[in-house]
Amino acid sequence: MTASKSWNPTINRNHLIRDAIGLGIYDCMKADPSIYLFGEGASMKMHFDCPAIEKEFPERIITLPISEDGNTDFAVGASLVGVKPVVDVITSDFLFRTMDGICNTAPKVNFVTETVEEKKTIVIRSENITFGLTTGQRLESLFTHIPGLNVIYPSNPKDARGLMRTALRHPGVTLFFEDRMIADADTRPDDIEDSGKDIPFGKASIVHKGDRLTVVSYALTLQRARKVIEAGVPFDGCELIDLRSLYPLDMGAIRRSVRKTGRLLVIEPDIKHSGIGAEILAEISESSDVKMSAKPHRSGAPMTMIPASHFLHKDLIPTEDKIKKVMQERLN
Amino acid sequence: MLTIRLVEDELQRLCLTGEASDLHFSKGQEAISVGVCSELRPTDYIVTHHRTISPAIARGFPMNPFMAEILGKATGLNKGLAGEMHIRNPDLRFMFSFQLVGTCASVAAGLAWAVKYYKKEDAIVAVFLGDAATSNAQFHEGMNLAAVRKVPLLVVVEDNHLAGNIRPEFYLPAPIEKRFESFGIHASKADGNKVDEVREAARTCIREVRAGGSPVALILDTTRLSWHKQGQRDIRSQAELDLLAKRDPLLYEEKRLGIDEVTKTKLTKSIEKEIAEAVAYARASPIPKMPRMEA
Repeated sequence: MTASKSWNPTINRNHLIRDAIGLGIYDCMKADPSIYLFGEGASMKMHFDCPAIEKEFPERIITLPISEDGNTDFAVGASLVGVKPVVDVITSDFLFRTMDGICNTAPKVNFVTETVEEKKTIVIRSENITFGLTTGQRLESLFTHIPGLNVIYPSNPKDARGLMRTALRHPGVTLFFEDRMIADADTRPDDIEDSGKDIPFGKASIVHKGDRLTVVSYALTLQRARKVIEAGVPFDGCELIDLRSLYPLDMGAIRRSVRKTGRLLVIEPDIKHSGIGAEILAEISESSDVKMSAKPHRSGAPMTMIPASHFLHKDLIPTEDKIKKVMQERLN
Repeated sequence: MLTIRLVEDELQRLCLTGEASDLHFSKGQEAISVGVCSELRPTDYIVTHHRTISPAIARGFPMNPFMAEILGKATGLNKGLAGEMHIRNPDLRFMFSFQLVGTCASVAAGLAWAVKYYKKEDAIVAVFLGDAATSNAQFHEGMNLAAVRKVPLLVVVEDNHLAGNIRPEFYLPAPIEKRFESFGIHASKADGNKVDEVREAARTCIREVRAGGSPVALILDTTRLSWHKQGQRDIRSQAELDLLAKRDPLLYEEKRLGIDEVTKTKLTKSIEKEIAEAVAYARASPIPKMPRMEA
């Protein structure tokens, strides 16, 4: 596999995370006959994304029409008698089409279900790639405001597989994002091999230990920040935290780190305004036991549309250069 | 039907005293729930719209926990957390009810798919929705999914010619059956205020669903004699409501069965006693605890 140098990283394969998500589902399907895949073009997607599922469980791949909201509600209906659905909504922008199913139907059904029996397991998948006005909007922070949803965003294949297993092995509604802009070649070899372990929700991962600056991120910007820190001086000694799960949010890990460093920088690929960084900074500012030696800071995407011209895409999500700049400012 | 009517009458009184929140009643539409539910097997499943009091009683909900649920008490069927519009009682296969118009259609389609292809049960799903719901995208997506996936679904349309307080000229450009026809779903019609006709029509449709394993629709013409929601004004004049009241399903049934005043009074008293006991049970019950909320 080669590194993506093109403006469009999907021209190269960029499928390590996608394959890992597929294998996470496959791991669970082998042991649990109630897991079914629902989605637009589901059979075609499995053909390319997870041939093992296509080969062994073709009867559990349910291809549905282009009717996103109906599809989510259909899957919720199936869950009422024990099916554990994985609903593929494909591109993140389509999540707007099924906000009702994700925000009104699934969590409310579970809220009431819990009064009479165990909650249902429902997973909704979606992916991000910056492409145009309604292709690639980052909506993860938006969903962290809805009670009853786990919002999961892995930055590497190992986490993706372990987190997906958790989503399918525990009751609850999980919105599971996939970042198609993380190039396979930019993924550390250590982050590819499956650990065989499930990764609990609400537990951040400390990617690099340090005591100079706490950098919190996830998904694409996590990988970019990682490369900046791994390049060494002048960014050695920075602590890098991968949230992995935006809800539940591991504020404990962030507080512990900031108590040590006194400096906090949140880098998010989503629009900064009203984003997860705002929540983290607010939580830290409300924590009486955290003393800051510099003002906390957020860096994220601007409040704008994704223009069609790919020449403009590179400035939307914090780049490595931008990350270096804001990190330097925090360290000064 | 009389039980439903009397429960709703009592609940309406409790709405006015503030003991119940503003509820959605089915007054005038009771024959539909009663007629259809009487033809369903205990192993069949039900999904409904937000007017749940009528189908819940028709399905045989126990009165005390049902009343406690509607009055927001901890001893309610769903611990007082679901209320009138989101009741779930899996013991009676009353799977869920949805306040958002149309959601029940897609959820019921998915449920019916799982009943047939996952559980592999010889059962059907009956979904109750209103004529207004047939304008909603969820109805269309749900019917499309039900038809394309060939699921055993009986779609019961309670055609009360109202969307809240809106008349059909604002939402229904063509007859409802045409909407079903476009999905290849056979739709038949009957008078929804005559419980014997509802039963007859439901029996035929249910037989068709069981035999074919595919969705079938039953459109039942009816009259909503209550407001859309307690506390809201009604767009209709008193004269129009008086005219509709002549089609009251209870009047029809009294006449058909030849029930005299003495029998009716006796029956009413006995049901009212049961309702009074349920209200007393709910009143004596503790208020619910806020559940621990985690994703």
